[in-house]
Amino acid sequence: MRRFRQVIQILSLCFFLYLVSHTKLPHDLYIDYTAVLNAEESIHLEQPVTFYFMINPLVMVSSLLSAGIWISGFLWAVAVIILTLFLGRIFCGFICPFGAVHTIVSEIQPKKHKPLKPSAYQVKYSLLIMILLASCIGLNIAGFIDPISFLFRSLALSVFPAVGTGFREIFEWLSASDIKWLNWSSLVLEESFFAPVFGYNFNAFYGGWFIGMLFLFIALLNRVKPRFFCTVLCPLGALLGICSRFSMLKILVDQSKCTSCKKCASICPGSARLSDSPYEISNNAECLRCFNCMETCPTDAISVAFNIPKNTKGPDIGRRVVLSGLTAGITFPLLGRLDGIVHKVSPPELIRPPGALPEKQFLELCIRCGLCMKVCPTNAINPTLSEAGIAGFWTPRLVMIQGYCEYTCTLCTEVCPTGAIQKLTSQEKTSQPVRIGSAYVDRGRCLPWSGNGPCIVCEEHCPVSPKAIHMKEMAGDKNIQLPYVDLNACVGCGICENKCPVRGKPAIRVICAGESRSVRNRIML
Amino acid sequence: MRENNISRRDFIKITGTTALSMTLPALPISSAFSAPQKFLIEGVGQTSGYSVKALVKKVFDAAGGIEKFIAKKDVVGLKPNISWARSPNLAVTTHPEVMEAVASLCFSAGAAKVMFLDHTIHDARRCFAITGATAAAKNSGATLVHPTSRHFKDMNLKGSRLTVWPVFVPFKEVDKIINIPVAKVHRLSGLTLGMKNWIGAVGGRRNALHQDIHTTIVDLAQYFKPDLTLIDATRILVKNGPSGGSEADVFQANRLILSNDPVAADAKAATLFDINMDSLAFIKKAEKWGLGTTKLSTLSNKKVII
Repeated sequence: MRRFRQVIQILSLCFFLYLVSHTKLPHDLYIDYTAVLNAEESIHLEQPVTFYFMINPLVMVSSLLSAGIWISGFLWAVAVIILTLFLGRIFCGFICPFGAVHTIVSEIQPKKHKPLKPSAYQVKYSLLIMILLASCIGLNIAGFIDPISFLFRSLALSVFPAVGTGFREIFEWLSASDIKWLNWSSLVLEESFFAPVFGYNFNAFYGGWFIGMLFLFIALLNRVKPRFFCTVLCPLGALLGICSRFSMLKILVDQSKCTSCKKCASICPGSARLSDSPYEISNNAECLRCFNCMETCPTDAISVAFNIPKNTKGPDIGRRVVLSGLTAGITFPLLGRLDGIVHKVSPPELIRPPGALPEKQFLELCIRCGLCMKVCPTNAINPTLSEAGIAGFWTPRLVMIQGYCEYTCTLCTEVCPTGAIQKLTSQEKTSQPVRIGSAYVDRGRCLPWSGNGPCIVCEEHCPVSPKAIHMKEMAGDKNIQLPYVDLNACVGCGICENKCPVRGKPAIRVICAGESRSVRNRIML
Repeated sequence: MRENNISRRDFIKITGTTALSMTLPALPISSAFSAPQKFLIEGVGQTSGYSVKALVKKVFDAAGGIEKFIAKKDVVGLKPNISWARSPNLAVTTHPEVMEAVASLCFSAGAAKVMFLDHTIHDARRCFAITGATAAAKNSGATLVHPTSRHFKDMNLKGSRLTVWPVFVPFKEVDKIINIPVAKVHRLSGLTLGMKNWIGAVGGRRNALHQDIHTTIVDLAQYFKPDLTLIDATRILVKNGPSGGSEADVFQANRLILSNDPVAADAKAATLFDINMDSLAFIKKAEKWGLGTTKLSTLSNKKVII
């Protein structure tokens, strides 16, 4: 049974990794060149990259509470809850890819550990209560610690780009080699195996190192206590734990066979088997369905059985845990409003992806999973650090010195699992048009304006027709043309900023003013 | 008495050699050693719904057939302009049927490999898909090269403004190069035609080239010397160049211009636009540098109509 679980976990993790690597422009565009588009139609993703978010009841419940929206994919999450009602936390034991990561770290060379205090396992209920209450008040913070979002963000914004950068540097070094076969083999390796997974460019993400360190830290906690995250921190585990109270699947101990050796208790990652009562029917809410105890029992005293639940005991939550969760749940969203970004202030650098909802609704739905950041073909979408305030930490924003918003590209709108970024077609994006900000010229830096010579790079790249950047001849010198921005035409795509020859802080920059999602931020009448 | 007085003998020597050297190029003997006959062929599609591919074939036939230029087992590099992720009807990129037809012709002449080479401005994969380059490559059997950092190596362009600059390496590895640009307007250079298309053959800080656009175009044109230039003016972008974005900016010119003289090809294509030739400094500079001629009547002119 344990081997079977491990196989399923590995498969699930592999599928998750497959989906992460496919969160990008469709594969055929990259390799086969078979995609043929007749017009500037939307390019669609080929894989159901939001699958793990759709089967995630925490994402479902938190977005239902915060924004009251129902996404058809959430039926999967309902199915998971129903499954949990019958079988307990089978999701945690078998399906959860983050659980699989923890299992790998815990079960490779397992080492002896001391059980944590029972109160440690209550932390997750506190976190769950905090998330649910904060959602009710209008801030979705599930994504900070929701296992699927956590894993996706860690992989997409730190592990994949870090590995990618390392390998790409090796390939660059090889491709510069004069030894022909080294050169050639690096091309084959790069084009056929490496780049399809890790991408064709050096990708960068703001604060990616922090996301990576946090991932490493959480993963290494498993060496202190197996599946630390799952049993102590995971709010999804807490939610499923509550649902599993009436689970029909039971783990029973045959008291006539049990020798009280307590091996089962020592191998249980949760607090499902407390060492002082080995005969007790295991606590469903804390049982990860790992079946380690069954496998370990030297006398085969432990077995699984289906029966109608009687005299069930709910999870041991405790009043203090509830109170601390409620306090945090009310404090966090309210303190998060104090930077004024929802009601009052418009930080210039907070440029949301096209199709993003107004800030208030956006914060109700964005789970900071990183899908939009991973899928962006120009690497423009980055996690925020301070730009969106603490309430918007790790939410997406566009950094135009890293990339720009391709005029007809709608990939980020397509992958958003909760609809914080609304679906758009290329047609809708360009014809409405959806503005994400507006450009302005910094005349002190601009080459023609500052008298340093001709340059029309921003005008040349402007994708709208008629162009939002137009040039006027300088009085006195017909050879110098000066750029002006037409705010009625500018969509804020940022290609002008990205291509400006003045690096670092370009001479033309995009700010959020003028974005169409916010009435307050509009400029023109 | 001044020391540097020219003696009578010296005077005769100097005037004599000067006169001789000035008349030499005009002598028939010199033209026998120079490049093959320069030609300029204009293909016109007059019937509505004419086949672009057929027109391409016809202009090459008028030049003596593709076999004259492409030898068996040649590796051919084609330089389309597919820099922007725009659909073909917007006239911002080379028509995919032109790309396909030229590639197929090269294969029919026995080319071992035909490559579409362009260092795009937008994301290359999106450009390939949206401009129709993928279809052209797939239908003709040509290869699309995705430009990555490995494809660029610093080379000395020996230009007057551009010296060491990263070059898209495949261009230096192919046997023959055919430039197949699209004709469109450009705010700074006036027009984007054949010679300006070479900006898509280099990497590095391309956005700095605009500070002296005409000189850099000529610098690039003297470095990348194509065997043929086929300017796609089936439809031309007359406004909002070079990236366009609206069909209202497009004019159906129904022309193809083929020449082995890059300057003449550009000069001819420029006549399709409502533009003052004097403002196209890069054409004049290129002529001055000896890259070709703008005196179109000195070339063997042909016109094919379909």
